[in-house]
Parts: sequence; structure tokens; C-alpha cells
Amino acid sequence: MTQKTSVEARDRSIFGRLIRSWTGAPALFILVLLFSLAVLVNLEVIGFDPVAQTPADRLLAPNGTYWMGTDQFGRDIFSRVLSGVGSTGLISVVAVLIAAVFGTLIGLVGGFYRGVADLFGTGVTNILFAFPPLLLALTLASVMERNWFTVAIAIGIVYIPIFARVTRGPVLSLREIEFVKAAKSTGMSSFGIMFRHVLPNIYSIAIIQIALSLSWAVLTEAALSFLGLGAPPPAPSLGSMIYEARTLVLIAPWTLYAPGAVIVIFVASLNLLGDALRNILDPRSKEGH
Amino acid sequence: MQRLLRSAALRKAAGALATLAGVSVFVFFMLRALPGDQISASLGTEAAGLTENQRLALEAYYGIDQSLPVQFFSWLGNLFQGDLGFSVRAQQPVLDLTIAALPVTFQLAVFSIILALGIGVPIGMLSASRVGKARDVLGQALSLLGLSIPAFLLATTLLTFFAVNFGFNPNGLGYKTFFEDPSVNLQQMLLPSLVLGFGISAPIIRTARAAVLEIRGQDFIRTARAKGVSTRRLQFRHILRNALIPIVTITGLQFGYLLGGAVVIEQIFSLPGVGRQVLVGIQQKEFALVQSTVLVIAASFVIINLLTDLLYRAIDPRVRAE
Amino acid sequence: MTQQNKWSARPVKAFALISVATLVLAGCAAAEEEETAAPTATQTEEPAAVGGNLVMGVTSDPDTIFPWKATQFQAFRMLENVYDTLTAFDADLNVVPALAESWEVSADGTAITFNLRDGVKFADGSDFDSGDVKYSYEAIQDEANAAVARSTLGGVTSIDTPDADTVVLNLATADVGLLANLTGTNLAIVSSDDTEETLSTTTNGTGPFMLESRTAGQNVILARNPNYWGDPTPLDTLEFRVLPDEAAIAAAMSAGNVQLAVFSDPITARTVAGGVTVNTTPQLGYHALMLNARNGVMTDKNLRLAISCSIDRQSVLDTALLGEGEVTGPITSPAFRSDPNARPCPERDLAKAAEYLAAAGSADGIEIDVMVPQGLYAGELEIAQAVAAQLAEANITMNLEVEERGTYIDRWIAGDFVAAIAQNGGRPDPDGMYGRYFPSTGNLNQVSGYSSDSMDKLFADGKVESDPAKRKEIYAAVSAELEDNAVWVWLFSGYSYTATSDTMTGFIPMTTGSWQYLRTTGLK
Repeated sequence: MTQKTSVEARDRSIFGRLIRSWTGAPALFILVLLFSLAVLVNLEVIGFDPVAQTPADRLLAPNGTYWMGTDQFGRDIFSRVLSGVGSTGLISVVAVLIAAVFGTLIGLVGGFYRGVADLFGTGVTNILFAFPPLLLALTLASVMERNWFTVAIAIGIVYIPIFARVTRGPVLSLREIEFVKAAKSTGMSSFGIMFRHVLPNIYSIAIIQIALSLSWAVLTEAALSFLGLGAPPPAPSLGSMIYEARTLVLIAPWTLYAPGAVIVIFVASLNLLGDALRNILDPRSKEGH
Repeated sequence: MQRLLRSAALRKAAGALATLAGVSVFVFFMLRALPGDQISASLGTEAAGLTENQRLALEAYYGIDQSLPVQFFSWLGNLFQGDLGFSVRAQQPVLDLTIAALPVTFQLAVFSIILALGIGVPIGMLSASRVGKARDVLGQALSLLGLSIPAFLLATTLLTFFAVNFGFNPNGLGYKTFFEDPSVNLQQMLLPSLVLGFGISAPIIRTARAAVLEIRGQDFIRTARAKGVSTRRLQFRHILRNALIPIVTITGLQFGYLLGGAVVIEQIFSLPGVGRQVLVGIQQKEFALVQSTVLVIAASFVIINLLTDLLYRAIDPRVRAE
Repeated sequence: MTQQNKWSARPVKAFALISVATLVLAGCAAAEEEETAAPTATQTEEPAAVGGNLVMGVTSDPDTIFPWKATQFQAFRMLENVYDTLTAFDADLNVVPALAESWEVSADGTAITFNLRDGVKFADGSDFDSGDVKYSYEAIQDEANAAVARSTLGGVTSIDTPDADTVVLNLATADVGLLANLTGTNLAIVSSDDTEETLSTTTNGTGPFMLESRTAGQNVILARNPNYWGDPTPLDTLEFRVLPDEAAIAAAMSAGNVQLAVFSDPITARTVAGGVTVNTTPQLGYHALMLNARNGVMTDKNLRLAISCSIDRQSVLDTALLGEGEVTGPITSPAFRSDPNARPCPERDLAKAAEYLAAAGSADGIEIDVMVPQGLYAGELEIAQAVAAQLAEANITMNLEVEERGTYIDRWIAGDFVAAIAQNGGRPDPDGMYGRYFPSTGNLNQVSGYSSDSMDKLFADGKVESDPAKRKEIYAAVSAELEDNAVWVWLFSGYSYTATSDTMTGFIPMTTGSWQYLRTTGLK
């Protein structure tokens, strides 16, 4: 990956550079593949109904009909796994969007206006940060009526502070930059300045954080379903499949390894995507997670 | 200068207290939003058979008969006197339960961090020594795996595998503290810290690698090299010490997360730590238990952040020179 | 199905164990009549080696160690070995003497005189006498103590203690089922010197074991009670070890660290490696689709019958619980068992279902809301889905309202549902089992959603009828009315899976789920 100046970097589309990158291309490919398969399974174009039970075909090893074998109820694991990818993906995307929108808003408003708004924003951020993420997610998930949307909200709330913190810093420095001051002198409203001039400049930071947070969100959602606090059945979820397979693995290893492998590939692709995006958008970043 | 530092420390402490106050209010009200209460949690459907008087008696017994503000302020008031509340289930003060549980999670966290550093720092440095070559790719692949394999997947697989194939199941013996039985205790901590350590080693590998790469490019290293200082010496003396800063930062961050985030590992390996205490408290609707334990976890996290900050100042020569 | 093989060795083993246990219990009673002093060793079958510690895996620790407030599995399993009741069950669910050696029921059934066992001591060494029984029962009746079994003693108007060895329970009306209901651990006899405060952190019972230590979240250890009136237990100590995850328990059993555990599903139980026997015991509890006949569309009996006729219960059992269980009628206890075929549609009959549906005015189909729990018991959702699939073929669309445990329980208690998938507990005596649900004065009647004059009369008669054959007929009539009106759709009872290490001997799992035979268990 060659070092380009920031001006030239912005001229080339992000997507284009992603496709060309070492890590970005395979990551993108895998993610697109996973989601397409998930959609196809949900539309029942391929695979079986993830919820349909066929007791006669219980615990079969992977074969021509059941590509990843069947579980103890005779359900096709391939369909369940992909359906789980779809549902986990949906929850994670919504969660991260919630976190991104509200977190960035807090960081933007707090950093720009300072004073009370900043105090409030920093206060909320610190309070949420003081909780270990999984603990906060599971407490929030237990509180709300259980459906995929509330689980997304629970996870989203957990990641709001990171967005707030990550965007606040740049906003603070951007405030002082000449063109912002200049805009102020021309009488543009603060609100306008905030959205027209400041926001576009923190856009790339937010994108990097979104990509990074997606992988965490998927892992958190899986951990919640493992604990039985994720989206309620019948929608299959990778975490709950792993939970059910934890003793089955001794007599039917595919019941654990299939969802296990898929979740690892899924999260790894998200991580690689995040890395590639970071390399493109912020090559000077030496953030190590 | 001294005054400035002191006021910065004071400001930080005040901020931390405010945060903790916010945490307690937040948790208190969040818990009250849980469906069901301790009565239905312990009685289940049997609660249907309770008469009004019985229900009132039980509410008094569980301490949920008073109004919300009264409950909140009496809890808070007790807190300042060192009384974290009482767990009706365990028939013990929450303080005692937490004092027993905190060291378990602490020990797990410490061991995990040690393993993570032991794995992560050398691999990160190895990776950085030959950028782009095989060892770098391997190191980065390992880091990716550490980030992508869910801890609960690894944990449950290892637990079952070792128990069934080798009869190795120290976690099934009932938890023993280090002072009760050091050998069993270390065995019980082995698999859980390996699993958590592997996960945490991932960001450490990356941080170490990035830090080494950055420092190597800096002037004072080039100067040392030009003076003929050997590579080995360079690595250990200069690079490591300077790379410590971001590593310390990230280690501090992970430590805090581990305090409560290891709940699934504690569940799988039957370790009676604070994470599990909170989980059980939520399931059994024991509010005082959850509130106080979460507060303790948050406070520990805040303290660790402060300590990391101090350590950071101690290591970073630029900060020390101020 | 290859699962038929599991039955071959079991009946023989069970028979052998039951005979040993019965002989031992009989020996106890026999010995006591001769000597009224301290407990003696019996001359009958000897259990295996004396001594040793047995470890049982449980997923959480008991919610309380005070018997009158206990409601959870772990608490019962521990307390039933520490405290005694006046009467007890044997392995066949017959009522046998415990703290009461014998009893006489007055002619009109309104007074039961218990002759208490002599020479019984509490673990702290104090003597047991009638005063302790009176104290315990009156405290249980007192609402301020919020004892779980208060309603069981609801019909007891007064308790007399003519002498230290005799207790008389005076009842408002005869209550034939009372003797069976007195066996519950919630009716444990406690010393009159003890209070709830003292018994929240220690135990003081007349049972074979006593509390040695308790570490919250980790274990409860019971030790042999030297003052026990019966045979000394073979085991020195019992440890209830908390391993929060069933997979962890299975792993521990495979490694030999745990010797006894109950699993919620057969597959986990069977993956335990080496030297373990899995005992499949039929449960008294049952799975049902509860219908609320007072709510909305369910008030129409035709709709309820349509639902009942559309479901192939065996198929639901095969799909959701892998065939592990038995289709049942309302009453599950062996002595009064309902005939599952004595219902309007013994087999699934879609034609008849359609008729009933038309009679209910929904010939084109209907949608009903069904409440389903989550995280309450194993198989809850699979059963709901299987039932929904069956009903769909009869034009009845089931809309699943999946509720988290706490919410489900709240709604269940309030009867706030049109239909609900549920697993309810069962008891050996039918009055104990349904006496709270179907009589109009029962304290769970708002949950059952049904009452009628005939039902009230049947239950009232059943309570006082002392002739066993006639009593059986009365409850058969109860069962018939429940099925003919499709009050609920009874599905099946599952099995409970008790895994025991082959190093154990003398343990008999019971249909009630009780582990009372830990007192006769030893290690080889």
C-alpha cells in the first residue's frame, strides 16, 4: 500500500482502494458471500427451513443433502448457521449504527459547544465506560423485552462512549482551525458550522470506528446468545448454536465446529476490513487494537 | 508546578467520584426495570398461591417493600458506612461475598495479562523484526485469530476436550484459593487464563509491533545504530522501554474489561468471581447484590485507570521530565 | 428406534435396589419398635463400604436453607436429607411412616391422631416431641411467615398435643390426601426452640444428615447426623457442588470428580463418558398447552376441543423431546393415572377438529396468541413450535408470544393469557396436584381458568372419600370432565435424567425427583 497524500487519497474512491488492498479484498469478498448466502437461505432459495425439525435425520454428519450435517432435532445446520449470520449481522449493524449516530452526536456537540453540553457528554461517556462491556450489555438486555431490536439497542448503548470519545478529540482541534473561525466571522450559525465543516472531517474516523466496532458487536451478540440473553428463538443464532453444541461435540463434532468456524471467519473478515479501511483512511494511525 | 499536578489529581479524583455516583444511579434504576422481582424469581409459578399477607411478608423479607427513593438512599447511606447490603439467598452481607469473589476475578485477570504479555510482546517484536516476511504474516495471523475466536467457544471446547480425553478437570473439584491449595488453584486457573490471555494477546501483538516499528524509525535509534550499538541491545534497551508506553496503556484497558468481562469464562469454568456474582444476581433479581457488585467493579476499573495513568507518567521520560 | 435397548437392564436393577431399600426401611421400623433408645444398626442387607464423600453437581446453590421457604430444586435435594416430615414416600410413592410411626383417622375423617416415634433427637441433641410438630405446623399456617405450604394446612383448624408422643390434627372436613401432602419438605418439622433467624444460617433437623458448611456460590456440605433415629448413613459427607453450566457438570462426571447429577436433556446426560449410568425416570410433572376458558375466544368449548383434536401428542413428543417421555392425561401419579386415550380425540382427528372449529364459528381458520416461556425449562420452545406446526394443519394459527422468564411468571400468575405452553409440577395425590387449580376456591383458580359446580363437588367428595377404589373413580371423573371440556390440552410427561457414577450403590431416583435415598447410598 503506497503512501499517498491526503488530498489524493480522498480523490480515489474508498471502495476502489479497498478492492485493491491485500486484506480488504478477501475480507469484502467473504462478507459479501456470507450475506448473500444468508439472504438466499432466508428466502428459502437454498438450504432448508432453519426451524423445521426432521427427527428422522437427527445428528447426521455433513453429506450431500445436509452440507454441514444436522443437529439433535434434525435441523439443517448449514441453513441455521447462515440464518444466524444474517440475524447476528443485522443486530450488529443496527447496534453499531445506533452507537455511531448517538456517540458521534455526543462527541460533536460536546466538543463543539463545550460548556454544559461537553460536561454532560463527558459525564455520560465516563459512566458508560466504567462498565465492563459484556456486563453492561447483559444487564441492559435483561431489562428490556427480548427481541432483536432491543438486543441491538443494548449492544449499541455499550459502544456509544467509544464513538463519543474518538470523535470529540478531533472536533476540539477542528474548532480552532482557521476556516472554522473564518466561517464564524461570516455569520454562519454554529449549528451550520458544526454540520457543514466539522462533521465531514471526522467522517473517516467514524468509519474506521464503525468497522472496528462491528467485529466487537458480533462477538458481544454471540456471547449474549450463549448466555441465553440474545434475540429469542426461534431465530437461530450462532451463539446459542454453540451453547447447545457444547456437549454434543463429543458425539457430533460438526454441531460445534460448523457455527464455530463460521463465526471465526465472519469476525476475522470484519477485522480485516477494519484494518484495510484504517490503512486507507488514516495511514498514520498507530492504534493497536 | 506541584499545585498544578495536585489540582489535576484532585480533578481526576472528583471526576472519578462523579462517575461512580452516576454509575450507581444508572444501575439502580436499570435493575428496577427488570421484569419480575425477587419473589417471582425464587418462587416461580408457586408465587401464584401467595395470599396478600404472605406477599407483604415476603416483600419485607427481601427488602423490596419500600418506595424507590427510600430504597436508593438507604442503600447509598449504608454504602458510606461500608455496608453493601445483604443477600437473602446466601444469608451473608454483600461485602463478604464480594470480598470472596473479587480476588478470584483479580487472579484470573492478572494471570491472563501475564500470559497475554508473555505471548503478545515477543510475537509482536518478532513480527516487527522482519516486516512482511513469514514471521510477520504468522504473527499477524495469530493476532487475527485471537481477535476473532470467541472466548466462550475456545473455553467450552477446551474444557470438554481435556476432561473427556485426559480426565483433566481441575475446575470440577470445587474452587480452591491459592492459599488453600496452590497446586489445584493454579491448575484451575490454567485453562481460563490461557483462553482469556489468547484473546488479549491479539491487541498486544499489534500494539507491540506497531510501537516497535514506529520507534525503530526514529532518530535516536538510527543514531545508536550508527554508533555501532548491537541489534540485540537496541531491542531490549531502547525499543522495549519506549514501546512499553502504548503496551501499558492497552494492558490497563484490558485489565479493567477483564474484571467484569470474564463473566462467561467464570461461568464455564465454575470460577466464583464477581462477573458470575452479577450474572446470578440479575437472574435471581437480587438488586442489592448487583448494585453493589457493579459499583465495586466500576470502582476497580476507575482505580486501575488511575494507576495506569500514574505508571504511564512514570515510564514516559517526556512526561517525567516536566 | 434403538432407544428400546435402554430398558433391558433397568427394571432388574431398579427392582433389586427397591427391594434393598424397602428391606432397609422395614428393618429401621422393626428395630425402632424394639428399642426406643439411640438408633441402632439394622440386621438386614448391608450397604457398601461405610465412609466417603459423595459429590453431586448442581447448577446453582440453594436459594435458602430454611425448609418452609424453599422452592428450588437444589434446596429441596439438600433439605429433604436434613429435615424430616411426619410421613414420607417410599420408592413406589406409598405413604410410609417417618416421624410419625403410625396414625389413626377418625370415623368422619376430621381428626387424625399421629403416634410419634420415640427417642428422636434433633441434630443439636434436643429431644423431639409433639410440641415441635404443633409449633411447626402453626408457624406454617401463620401468613406472616410466608411459608410456601400454608395452603396445604388450610383445612387444619386446630392441633392438639395430648402427650409428648401424640399429635392430633383437627380438620374442618375430611382430607384424605393430607397424609400424602404432609410428606413435602416445605412441611418439615423444626424444633420449637428454633426460629427462621436461627435456621437461615444453620440447620437443626432430625434427618440423616446435617449442614457442615456452606460457601455461597460454591458448595453446600452435609455431614452425617450422629443423632439420627434411623440407620446411620453409609456416607460421611455429601457435597452439593455448584458448577453453573451443565456441560461443566458433564465434564466433571467424565473426569470422575462428580458422582451424581440430574440433567435436563438426555443427550447431555449420555455424553458423560465412562463408568456412568443414566437413569431415566418418568416425571410427575407434565407439559401442557394451558387454555384460559375465561378469556376471549377460549370461552368457546368448541374451539378448545378443536385444538385438542388437532394435536398429535406423540408426534410433538417425538419432535420436541426426541420421544423421551409418555403421552399423559391430566393425572400422572401411578395410583390414579389418567388413561391418555379417554379423551374426545384419542388420536389426532383433523376431520373432527374441523367440525368443532366450524361449530365455534371459525370454519375458515383462526389465530390465537400463545404465551411461551424462555429460559424456564428445557424444550419449551421446541414444544411450542411442534404444537404450532400441528395446529397450522388444522387452520389454527398459533401466534407465539415468547416471554422472558420473569414476565412469563408474572403473566402466568395473573392468568393473563389466552393460551400458554407450560410445564407444571405433579404430585402423587391428585388432590395435592389439582386441588389448588380447579375447585373454584382454589388459590390458583384464576390461573386454571375453569371451574364448575360438578368439579367443585368432585373435589369435595375426593377429599373425604376414604375407600381407595371409590376415590380412584372420583378422580377418573375429574379427569374425564377436564378432557371432555378440553380445559387444557395435556401433552405428555418428560423424563428426568439422573446420572450416577458406577462407584455408587444404594441410590434410587424417584418420580418425585427426590434424592432421599442418599441416606442409603454408599461408595463401592
